[in-house]
Amino acid sequence: MMISNPLSYILLLPAVALLLLFFVPGQRTSLIRSVANAGILLSSLLSVWVFSSYNHTAGGFQFIENVPWVPALGISYHLGVDGVNSVLVLLLGICSLAAVLLSASIKERVKEYYILLLLVVIGTYWAFLSLDIFFFYFAHEIATVPAFLLIAVWGSERKEYGAMKLTLYLTAGASLALIGLLGLYFGLGLGTFDLVAIQQHLSAHPLPMDVQNWVFPLIVLGFGVTLTLWPFYTWAPVGYATAPTAVSMLHAGVIKKLGAYAILRFAILLMPQAAHNWMPIVATLAVFNILYCGLVALTRRDLKYVLGYSSCSHMGYILLGLACMNVIGLNGVVFLMFAHGIMAALAFALVGAVEDQTKTRNMDELGGLAKQMPFIATCFSMAALASAGVPGFANFVAEIMVLLGAWDQYRWQTVAAVLGIVLTAVYMLKAIRLAFQGPVNARWAGLTDAQTPLQKLPFILLLGALIIVGCWPLLILNHVGNIYVPIH
Amino acid sequence: MFPSIDWHLISLECLITAAFVALVVMDILLPKDSRDDRIGISSFIALAGLIGFWLTQRNLSGTSFGGMFSMDSLAWFFKGLFLLAMVFVFAMTGQFFKSLGGRRNEFYLLLWLALLGMCLMASSNDLLLLFISIEILTISLYVMTAYLKSDKHSLEAGMKYLILGALSSGFFLFGASFLYGVTHSTRFEAIQNYAATHAMDPAAAFGLVMVFAAIGFKIASVPFHMWVPDVYQGAPTPVTALLSVGSKAAGFVVVIRLFFGIFAAWHGQWSLVLAVLAAMTMCYGNLAAMFQTNIKRLFGYSSIGHAGYLLMGVAAGSVLGASAVNFYLLGYLFTNLAAFLVIVLFFNAVGSDEIKDYAGLSRRSGLLSCAMLLALVSLAGIPPLVGFFGKFALLMATVQSGFVWLALIAAANIVVSLYYYLLVAKRIYVDAPHGPASPIPVSRPMQWLLGIAMAGILIIGIYQGPFLDAAALAFKGMHF
Repeated sequence: MMISNPLSYILLLPAVALLLLFFVPGQRTSLIRSVANAGILLSSLLSVWVFSSYNHTAGGFQFIENVPWVPALGISYHLGVDGVNSVLVLLLGICSLAAVLLSASIKERVKEYYILLLLVVIGTYWAFLSLDIFFFYFAHEIATVPAFLLIAVWGSERKEYGAMKLTLYLTAGASLALIGLLGLYFGLGLGTFDLVAIQQHLSAHPLPMDVQNWVFPLIVLGFGVTLTLWPFYTWAPVGYATAPTAVSMLHAGVIKKLGAYAILRFAILLMPQAAHNWMPIVATLAVFNILYCGLVALTRRDLKYVLGYSSCSHMGYILLGLACMNVIGLNGVVFLMFAHGIMAALAFALVGAVEDQTKTRNMDELGGLAKQMPFIATCFSMAALASAGVPGFANFVAEIMVLLGAWDQYRWQTVAAVLGIVLTAVYMLKAIRLAFQGPVNARWAGLTDAQTPLQKLPFILLLGALIIVGCWPLLILNHVGNIYVPIH
Repeated sequence: MFPSIDWHLISLECLITAAFVALVVMDILLPKDSRDDRIGISSFIALAGLIGFWLTQRNLSGTSFGGMFSMDSLAWFFKGLFLLAMVFVFAMTGQFFKSLGGRRNEFYLLLWLALLGMCLMASSNDLLLLFISIEILTISLYVMTAYLKSDKHSLEAGMKYLILGALSSGFFLFGASFLYGVTHSTRFEAIQNYAATHAMDPAAAFGLVMVFAAIGFKIASVPFHMWVPDVYQGAPTPVTALLSVGSKAAGFVVVIRLFFGIFAAWHGQWSLVLAVLAAMTMCYGNLAAMFQTNIKRLFGYSSIGHAGYLLMGVAAGSVLGASAVNFYLLGYLFTNLAAFLVIVLFFNAVGSDEIKDYAGLSRRSGLLSCAMLLALVSLAGIPPLVGFFGKFALLMATVQSGFVWLALIAAANIVVSLYYYLLVAKRIYVDAPHGPASPIPVSRPMQWLLGIAMAGILIIGIYQGPFLDAAALAFKGMHF
């Protein structure tokens, strides 16, 4: 059987690299790194190619691959991209490349590390690409569970606690959502997990309200945990803080967007009637996300915790955008997923680069790092500005779209969300001032900046994506523009 | 007048008996002090032949001995499970007694008897034959559990198992006598006819509850689970493996016949009871497992938890529910046997079953830790491993039949079980070894066996379709 679909190759190439790694002896670290880097690089290139050759004027699902897998239950290996997931696949392509390059700082048990990292990347790609609800869930678990070992073995202080908390929360959420998805399956009575078939059926025959009303909250709550919906976000700051850099990048940047993607695809677009009843509650919780997590971020001294809480706070905008259920709001959500993903990955990568040398992330102990690390400091300032929604960065466009979309229905929530932008500016600027500016701490005189082009590449990649898309939002918005919105 | 006997249907059991007798003769003729493992090797060869023979029996169907013994697709499926499990248990026995020394020949013979009992259980079509086959299985298990004469845990376990097992046999006979009194027959067809044409009356209900109590003892369902932790911990590890895989599966084949066949007509009355039992069983097993420090005891509690998941499929009472139970048992076989094989090999090298001694195993043997990790994560129900799809199918059946509350309890249990399985994984992969990290050698045959178990966990977990179809086919071809 010949596989001709590029989407299958996005999954297959890292999988081949993973299998090869099993046969490479553990001491040959440079060979291990090359194999893993090559696998990820190839799938990243393919993801860029898929993004750029997606025909956005034609719209709909493209690059479809459909193989029946368990016919008895209506499960199929069904891949395809539309305007939404082509953007998210590009996001993963960029972030995973940066993450695997930055993994060069891992020196212990290299083989196991790369095997698990590849597993996480494959799972995340598969979840985004899958047009089958069963395989979405399947891949979501593959993407989240290996993080337990990645954090527990290669993480920093309190790593076992962080790893366990993250894994249990995500699995609890996913199991809850699974019951909801099964309720959807049997409520439909189609006997298939195929998203395309379900969408077509539902556009003509909406689900009965009594089914929608219990299935919808289960899915939103379950995947809401992945998206750090308030108050189920507590796993995230500690999980990101204890994880090795590459895992924080992938988790904060990409994997939590799986939650938003699932809520959008399987809850809001399939059950718009129930969404009307339930999403106003989510909009209110979103305000708690934005303000509460923002205020906590203000009080933290550990840079990774600041970023972790900031990331939870920014998920509030995504939740608010999801709650709007209009074209501009949902477009803004997808755009924000991309923009926030790149920004979060960049910020965690930079803090990781600092921590590699200083062995501390406490802002009070750092200070004046810009002298020794001008490149890192500049990149961090840019990431902070992007995070605070300064024009010129992608985040600005995305957040404006969400706020515009929300204004008509959620007045006070929108006002609170604007306050959140101010909060972000405050804690981000504080982080820059304490860590990178001010008097030079004598302890850090020996630090070195990222010097070789290869060391700078991951940061340039992420920052470049952030600026290019910020200046030319249509690049993304053209794709997202034909999002299917069931009711207006 | 004698009823007609179709020997062809019962040929597998005849061959097992023949192998058993031949090995007994061999044991008598061999010199007593022979230190080699000729009985074990002969057992392997006989088992391989039997598996080949089993493959030819695929389409065999019919009843013999006047309807007492029935061969159908369900029996065929489960006999395959038992034979496969025995391959692993024999291998474990060879390894296990390597470190303990002493007489293992009788142990092999008892394993053959247990195999005979399980196969007869799968084919029983009459309460009396069912009772006899349960006793053949259980009595050989009593002896094997208390086999380590100098180990007080083993003796205690044997005693507990004997007393509670005898009690459950009493329950069975008591219940069977009530069923006979109501239906005037011990034959399954006759009881089924009665159930189909009558409403449930108290006497029959009482008989059913008593019979289920005896089977509940076998499958380790709450409230008949009391023996499990002590026996799992104290018994020689190969027996623990057999209890957790073979004996449990043999119990479930009877449960399937009872609730999907004989008493299917009374589905409305028993489904809620079973659902509540399932919820209690999984909650008890998983919550208690969180605090265990001995790996075999942990697996004992986890085995109670898995009985709870399996009962969900029975409570669902649908084709999907029964297929899910069959599929789950198939996956559980590979998963648990991989874990117990690791436990045996680890015990041989280190001499301990304490979870804390597993610290740093990943630096001592990549293969053992990888096999254990796969088994643990599969038991927790994480894709792409077989345990996930089994749980998925069971949850599907549960939601389909409207027990959403039960599905939610199961979801919570999955999280709890993930916690304690990951704690063991953490010991193996994260913690530093206590002493020097001396490598643990694994012999070539054991490497192969571990490889087969891991391949089973992965392949059935990813390419689920044909195996689910086989599980469904086994149920659909059941005689009722």
